Amino acid sequence: MPLDVIMPALGMAQDSGVIVSWLKQPGDAVAEGDALFEVETDKATMEVEAQGKGYLTDVTAAAGESVPVGQVIARISDSAEGSGTAPASASAPASDAKNKASAKPMPEGREVIMPALGMAQDSGLLVSWQVAPGDKVGAEDVLFEVETDKAAMEVPAGFDGYVAALLAEAGEDIPVGGVVAIISTDKPEAPFAQSARSADKPPATPAAAPDQAEATKPAPAKPKPEKPQSAARSDGRILASPKARRLALERGLDLHRLVEVGHPQPFHVRDLEALANLPDATATPAAGAASRRLCARLPAAGFEAFCAWASGTLDIGDTNALLAGFAAACLRTDDSALLVEVETFGTAHAYQDPDRPWLGQAKRQSADTTPALRIRDLRHSALSLVEIGAEDCPVLTLSQRKSSVTVTLECGADQLSAQDAIALLTGFAGRMEQPLRHLL
Amino acid sequence: MREITLSKAVNEAIAEEMRRDPTVFLMGEDVAEAGTPFKVLAGLVEEFGTERVIDTPISEPGFVGLAVGAAMTGTRPIVDLMFGDFIFLVMDQLCNQAAKTHYMSGGKLSVPMVLRTNMGATRRSAAQHSQSLHALVAHIPGLKVAMPSSAYEAKGLMKTAIRDNNPVVIFEDKLMYQDKAPVPEEEYLIPFGVANVKREGTDITLIGTSSMVQVAEAAADILASEGISAEVIDPRTIVPLDEETLIKSVKKTSRAIVIDEGHQSYGVTGEIAARLNEKAFYHLDAPVVRMGAMDVPVPFSPALEDITVPTPEGVAAMARKLCSGEMIHAA
Amino acid sequence: MAKAAKTNTEDYLRMYTQMVRIRAFEDNANQLYLSAKMPGLTHMSSGQEAVAVGICEALTPEDKITSTHRGHGHCVAKGAEFKAMFCELLGKEEGYCRGKGGSMHIADQSNGNLGANAIVGGSMGIATGAALSAKMQKTGAVAVCFFGDGATAQGLWYEVMNMAALWGLPVIYACENNGYSEYTRTDEIAAGSITARAEAFGIESYDLDGQDVLAVNDLTQKLVERCRKGEGPFFMNLKTYRYHGHHVGDINREYYRAKDEESEWKTTRDPITNFGKWLEGEKIATTDELIEINNSVRKEAEEAVAYALEAKYPDVSEVDMHVYVA
Repeated sequence: MPLDVIMPALGMAQDSGVIVSWLKQPGDAVAEGDALFEVETDKATMEVEAQGKGYLTDVTAAAGESVPVGQVIARISDSAEGSGTAPASASAPASDAKNKASAKPMPEGREVIMPALGMAQDSGLLVSWQVAPGDKVGAEDVLFEVETDKAAMEVPAGFDGYVAALLAEAGEDIPVGGVVAIISTDKPEAPFAQSARSADKPPATPAAAPDQAEATKPAPAKPKPEKPQSAARSDGRILASPKARRLALERGLDLHRLVEVGHPQPFHVRDLEALANLPDATATPAAGAASRRLCARLPAAGFEAFCAWASGTLDIGDTNALLAGFAAACLRTDDSALLVEVETFGTAHAYQDPDRPWLGQAKRQSADTTPALRIRDLRHSALSLVEIGAEDCPVLTLSQRKSSVTVTLECGADQLSAQDAIALLTGFAGRMEQPLRHLL
Repeated sequence: MREITLSKAVNEAIAEEMRRDPTVFLMGEDVAEAGTPFKVLAGLVEEFGTERVIDTPISEPGFVGLAVGAAMTGTRPIVDLMFGDFIFLVMDQLCNQAAKTHYMSGGKLSVPMVLRTNMGATRRSAAQHSQSLHALVAHIPGLKVAMPSSAYEAKGLMKTAIRDNNPVVIFEDKLMYQDKAPVPEEEYLIPFGVANVKREGTDITLIGTSSMVQVAEAAADILASEGISAEVIDPRTIVPLDEETLIKSVKKTSRAIVIDEGHQSYGVTGEIAARLNEKAFYHLDAPVVRMGAMDVPVPFSPALEDITVPTPEGVAAMARKLCSGEMIHAA
Repeated sequence: MAKAAKTNTEDYLRMYTQMVRIRAFEDNANQLYLSAKMPGLTHMSSGQEAVAVGICEALTPEDKITSTHRGHGHCVAKGAEFKAMFCELLGKEEGYCRGKGGSMHIADQSNGNLGANAIVGGSMGIATGAALSAKMQKTGAVAVCFFGDGATAQGLWYEVMNMAALWGLPVIYACENNGYSEYTRTDEIAAGSITARAEAFGIESYDLDGQDVLAVNDLTQKLVERCRKGEGPFFMNLKTYRYHGHHVGDINREYYRAKDEESEWKTTRDPITNFGKWLEGEKIATTDELIEINNSVRKEAEEAVAYALEAKYPDVSEVDMHVYVA
């Protein structure tokens, strides 16, 4: 057995020593007690003796180098050739050793991680594995099913190869970025599966594989929206940080409203943004009050053709004014003022009595009071179905899928009676489908 | 700028002050020819002689008592207490005598002395040579307590301590004696009660003392790579404490972790956390978290000892939780 | 009595007066305490006057003393004024320590009194340190460390005697051996010879009668001179007696001390009475002159008490003043 030659601890406040010079050369025969090298620690220089006889080999530290105390810097071997392997550092602190001691060797291969899929997600529930250790997989093959937020989805392998290791079990909640599987290029000799609770899985390393598939990018760590921690407490107390409470007070915001909409507690400062964006409380129907939702579907072609004609022939370019005019005509029951707001691409414009001036001539004005009706034109968005709930006034939402437009009317039960709601939506949908009817 | 070890910085500070003021002298076990086991004071006896660099018997209460009397009568002793753990031996002289003399005499007597000693675990020295006991003396009114975090602080704080007219206890981390830092050739002092903002940040304040400043900085590096901006503050003296700087920072970041190598319970971390709670409560967006040494006697085995003290990874993990709004120790 | 001489008349009369002043101070302090006009707790040194006066009369104001919880006598003997002392006992602003020390912590640095100490044996390091700084600064000053026989059980004494002997420090350890450690006879808690303990460090030690002010003064003068020449340290074991209990209020003390013993010391060994007789015998003072000294001291003490009772308490704003030197 070769003997390790280590940097000895000689001084009180010493954690390394400088090798002043080697007194033996690699391959030299040494006897026990021979001076091997000179070391400088603290303020003294001293010679370090060989602890056994043999040949000095595997010298890894040169004169002038500072070496941590306890590190192996050479060996005394039975032959002048030495062991052929560089000595391992003996200086690794025990805490490191502890982590490594029980580690199962990880197979070579690409790491598949728990992807960030939802908005407020920092972990995903592994629902089931679709492969077994040792299976051959293609990049598009489904590897596992994961449940995040409210959706369950299938995650593809991302790489061609073999399932070398499955590092989580169905039913386990895995942090985003956590490694759940390893896919090897070559058929693995000993594929295995284990629980994520095993301490020896490789750590989540965001920069692990630069060529990882898009879906397996780790989530950014910058202040993540927190996962839901607790629902509203039964005693009515709100869990909120002192700062969030103070700012809410200063800004006149009521934290109870966040509780009402089911926003997860505890509330922090960032949750105030969500609170501030809630519709004005005074015009909002009380929570739990009945709300109405009606849908109408119609071909998109009629209104599109009419818009093109109006724009080309009548020089009417404001589509919103046309929509506002249609809606006001359906809503009007008397001569009182009627304000209709149209929201497109996130900006809102209001039209005062848009059914009164000649078609499409109504002028835009700023939208700072609650209108009688709001039209939200989402025809150019990807949304096909909306269910937002009652707001501070009845809302008509336009969405489009391929060649058909869906018009959804949502309102509180106290805002429109059932008959009025049906009349409004029927009339509006009819005008959009056959705009010329409006002119008659 | 030149870089010197913390050990050398302490040595320079003492030598400069002994040259400047003939009433300054050193006493303690093996301070003369031996220059202490850590060699911090090596060479001083050659310059100042055995009359001013006095080797004492192993009688900690005795020589600390002598220092108190000498300080009351016109000299400025610097007492070397070989290990911080021995502070338990000198408690009467330090806390009943030195700390109270000025007050009990109605301001007529004063005790301008420095007790320099050390702290810090992970030197495999086990439970009676590894403790960080600064909180014990910080608890006693009348004593000032300095905790240098680098060679620069060690020199500037030591010089201030020697010139201070109160009993000052300086805790040097014994693992940092060989750590180098830039130290100007020119003379400088570091005033007591002025914290050093080592690094500015916006998301969380990491308050560290002594070697825990390095831990805080390493944690801040980890956090920076994740997009979390940490402010690192070194109070430098815990008595007096620069509350204002700490509170100002926490009002900005709204989160804080206090890191100190003393035992966590009833310690420096708790004290600072309590002050932040009292004086910055309405600016906190997360609980102020204490990270001290575990409440166990320091174990000998490296496998056990290393886990008793705060680490950069542990601090970063806690900071991450606080910044993400995760509930800490929720009931 | 040690020597008969008329040349030191002034010194003798001052020693007598100082002993009377201590007795008067203690009698008034005792009354203040018993009548609930004085807060806290206090320890009477009546009966031990010859030790305090014999020693302090051999010192200059530059020489330092450290005192004990039974320290009023040392303070008076070292030159303190009644008014500031009574003010301190009553916690008044004009007290020696602005009312922050009280009976157990009176310090009078202008006369070299580094303070009474409420930790038994607590000042042994301070006195030895004062001697160390005197030696380092070559001031020629001497430090006297007063402590009781109970304090000889504290380890600190042996640590500092070791250093004082090693370094030849100008310090005199003066053990006021009144025979009792608080409520226990000292021979029940002290093994062997107290003097031999100091001698073990190579410290020249003396047993003497602490009720004989001339003997105490004579020896102290010699030892102080030798200290100034670098021949210190020294130890004096002064046999004395405390007339009161451990503290005012330690009234029922027959379980540890017989009344017969107390009355014997008071009638046959009282340091003031005996020194007065000697002064009369040596024709240094007449009976009337001694009575006059007693009367004027009593009057001074009563006036000081009256003054202190009326004196102002410190303003509450002083509570955190003097925690640190500004």
